[in-house]
Amino acid sequence: MAEKITAYRFDQLDQTLSQLNKENCAIIAGGTDVMVMYKSRRGVPPKIPKPIVFIDHLSELKRVYQKHKDLYIGACSTYSELLENPLIPGPLKKAIKTIAAPAIRNRGTLGGNVCNASPAGDTLPLLYVYNAKLLLRSVNGERIVAISDFIQGVRRIQRERNEIVAEIILPSVMEEGAHVVFEKVGNRNADAIAKVGFAGYIRLNGAVIEDARFAFGAVGPTMVRSVDIEKGLFGKTIPLADTDIAQVVGAFDKIIKPIDDQRSTAIYRKTVALNLLRYFLSMNQYQHNQ
Amino acid sequence: MPRKDHKGKVSGQLPYISDVKVENMVYGVLYRSTIAYGRIKSIQLPDLPEGYEAVGAEEIPGPNYVKIIKEDQPIFANEWVNYIGEPILMLVGADLNILYDLLEKVKIDIEEHQAIYTLEEAIKQKSAPGVTMASYEFGEILDTITSIELKAHQIIEEEYDTGYQEHVYLEPQGMLAIYKDDEIVVQGSMQCLYYIKNALINALACGDDDVRVVQSPTGGGFGGKEEFPSMMACHVAVAAKAVKKSVMLVFDRSEDMVVTTKRHPAKLRYRTALDRKGNILSMSVDLFLDAGANEGLSSVVLQRALLNSAGVYKIPHFHAKGYVLKTHTVPNGAFRGFGAPQSFAGIESHMCHLSNTANIDPLEYKRKYLVKQGDPTITKGNFRDPILMEEMIKDLLNTSNYKKKKTEFQQDNQQNQRYKKGIGTSLFLHGCGFTGSGERDHIKAKVKLVKSKDDQVSLKISNSDMGQGIFTTLSKIVAKELDLPYEEILFPYPDTKEVPDSGPTVASRTTMIVGKLLERAAKKLKSQWQTGVEQEVVENYVHREMIPWNEKTFTGDAYPAYSWGVNIVEVEVDTLTGNVKLEKVYANYDVGKVIDDRVMKGQIDGGLAQGLAYGYLEKMTSKEGKIQQKSISDYGPPTSLDVVSIESKIFDNPYADGPYGAKGAGELTLIGGAPAVQAAIEDALQTPFQQIPVTPEVIIDSLWMKEGEEG
Repeated sequence: MAEKITAYRFDQLDQTLSQLNKENCAIIAGGTDVMVMYKSRRGVPPKIPKPIVFIDHLSELKRVYQKHKDLYIGACSTYSELLENPLIPGPLKKAIKTIAAPAIRNRGTLGGNVCNASPAGDTLPLLYVYNAKLLLRSVNGERIVAISDFIQGVRRIQRERNEIVAEIILPSVMEEGAHVVFEKVGNRNADAIAKVGFAGYIRLNGAVIEDARFAFGAVGPTMVRSVDIEKGLFGKTIPLADTDIAQVVGAFDKIIKPIDDQRSTAIYRKTVALNLLRYFLSMNQYQHNQ
Repeated sequence: MPRKDHKGKVSGQLPYISDVKVENMVYGVLYRSTIAYGRIKSIQLPDLPEGYEAVGAEEIPGPNYVKIIKEDQPIFANEWVNYIGEPILMLVGADLNILYDLLEKVKIDIEEHQAIYTLEEAIKQKSAPGVTMASYEFGEILDTITSIELKAHQIIEEEYDTGYQEHVYLEPQGMLAIYKDDEIVVQGSMQCLYYIKNALINALACGDDDVRVVQSPTGGGFGGKEEFPSMMACHVAVAAKAVKKSVMLVFDRSEDMVVTTKRHPAKLRYRTALDRKGNILSMSVDLFLDAGANEGLSSVVLQRALLNSAGVYKIPHFHAKGYVLKTHTVPNGAFRGFGAPQSFAGIESHMCHLSNTANIDPLEYKRKYLVKQGDPTITKGNFRDPILMEEMIKDLLNTSNYKKKKTEFQQDNQQNQRYKKGIGTSLFLHGCGFTGSGERDHIKAKVKLVKSKDDQVSLKISNSDMGQGIFTTLSKIVAKELDLPYEEILFPYPDTKEVPDSGPTVASRTTMIVGKLLERAAKKLKSQWQTGVEQEVVENYVHREMIPWNEKTFTGDAYPAYSWGVNIVEVEVDTLTGNVKLEKVYANYDVGKVIDDRVMKGQIDGGLAQGLAYGYLEKMTSKEGKIQQKSISDYGPPTSLDVVSIESKIFDNPYADGPYGAKGAGELTLIGGAPAVQAAIEDALQTPFQQIPVTPEVIIDSLWMKEGEEG
């Protein structure tokens, strides 16, 4: 017989947070990762070892708004909702469109993609180059943490048991002048898990690089990003010299260490990651596309 | 006109086997070998709660093998295990949750032996006992070829590999045995009712009336439900008999992907002598099929692979030899095309590469060798019916604007550093029906039409509608002959108690062979029609004698008729990622005569999508005997975002022994996909490939090797 499970679905975030403070729970937003993670074999329901808290309906977690030059995205906004929202930057929409298929996008949330902390999380390379920050809330108040600190390893995040990721903040994203690209390499055009993900960000002052950021997905336990390598490009002019490009590519060659698995090979992942980086660096002009 | 199965499927109301519940029903789960090759030393079962039982080899009333061709596939392995996933025993009981827990506690001690994991290893060991399961050789005398090669300008040798292909039928495999005092009724997703019935009579050591096989709605087969369901049927029937309850066995997707049959991986070696201008003087092909752990249908698959090894060409001094080799991996089996897709991928690739050597456009080169009506086949049979290939090629060249595109793409590719476009062709045929004298000697098909008192006519045949549309097409044939409205013709799901053996639903034979028998039966019924009276007519297969097939010498007419096709495919390749995007797909076919336009379009679109994907997209690998891709997304069959709309046309070429001239269509549509897409990728990148699928990994590896860049 089916075992009894405890599930909570509070009307308010406050009640949700106070329950989380009392009890260690599994949080379900869209459920598109949790339900897969705890999937049983055929004919048996998923076995989630903790009480479940549903948060997908909480309006406090679904707001999208601009504050100064920053964009705040409610963690429980579904991908489909974000695709409809005019505030969401084009490259992020492009990334979202590569996620699964419409049915999953109707359920899955941006906060879920972050908290699942998959090495192949589709939006993560972009969130990394946006320098995304996460606003966490608990009964004790709130704190803000950078995404690169929050995600610590494969499915390992720096969330306390009583906390919820409430908002994803993209700092200065509404500011003019940045060129951002996103590329997902999957085995097919829908319902695919990334073999390589790449996001590139560049901001120019005339022909001079003011800021450059790169992040790679599915080529290591978490997104690969190196502020040190990026800084080497600051102050250089566009088009970049071949030696500069080679230097950056060479530096990433040393720190990108992918694996062989059922989806692809290490050598493929690395070659493609570096190809996409080299291509991005070799562009003759970069247009603002936020 | 709506398909007969339209309403149930579109509304979602149609119950598939996993939706069925019967009284006194328990579930079965299989304990499977975790070792690729070894001897079972001991089996230790956990304490089983009341109502839970284990069923294994000891419970089989008859001999412990699944009756197919050879007796080498145990129902439950009890001495040796030959692949990871081989069933050893079944636990049955009411609650799946408890069964899964119990399964974890079964302990089986297996003494491991050195396994053969790859076709490569099997080829090296092919003289070792038990490794070569079947082999055939035919064609030109080797001494003659040697003397031709001595005088040749050059000899081109190529080795070509094809990978696994998984059927990915929408409905995973499922089978239910309903226990009754006087009979066992086996019901499930299947293509071949009488294969299953014969396997059950053997396994249960029972009489003809003691078992009954009923097809349930079947969500796709593609050959995957040809011979594999026989094993599951034996499992549930043996278990039902042992525990005296009805037993249901249904796989989830990952179990299905890991343990069911796949398309045989193959290796093809070509050795071709050319003159100074690049003309072919002689050709030899060696073909190796990876059978997996049991022979199953592999020898027949090899026959079809060999019979198609020269493609649609008249090659002077052609010789072919083939082997079925054993590996300790999941058994491979029937799959739409049945050995032909491997051969066509290989020969089309080789011909394309030869054309490069001769510096002639691939299509022009291939056309020089096209067989014509009256030409002999490679087995000294005869292409006696008209061949429309030239017309179909010319038409498709126009439709696709081939020549213009080819030039344009070459210019564009100079400009675009990242994306390269290419266009490729494939020419192919498919022999319809069983190979050789199979229909006459083994199948002996029989069909029945039954008319009730109220003049309702029902088709009584053992063929399955698995989505391909025979409910519709065969009903149309009968309706037309009887001059009755199509809606009034009944075609119930077949039940061996009701239907004669009209053969399995395989080999592109159903419309051509069974459809013709039904046409004749309907004619007969019409001539005897008595309103308000119960009537029954039966028709038997009649063999048209041609050049008799000799399986020993591999000579004679291998097939009664051939269907033909031409594909042209345009792609764009991303040189940074190796990703291939289909841009355009064109197809012309000769299937004799089309019975239903939309059913045919379904076969074209589905078959081509599956065939194209075989060439560049779907990738399945085995590592130390374990299938690596256990989910649809990891395996990667095409989605609607991967396929483009397919521009296709049908050329009428009625065949005398098919209903209204119809020949086979189901397999043909798959065959041209892979070679055309490979040719298009080669055209885009100006690089030859020696394998399918040409995945992004293969492309990047090749570009990387070519440029010698740092990875």
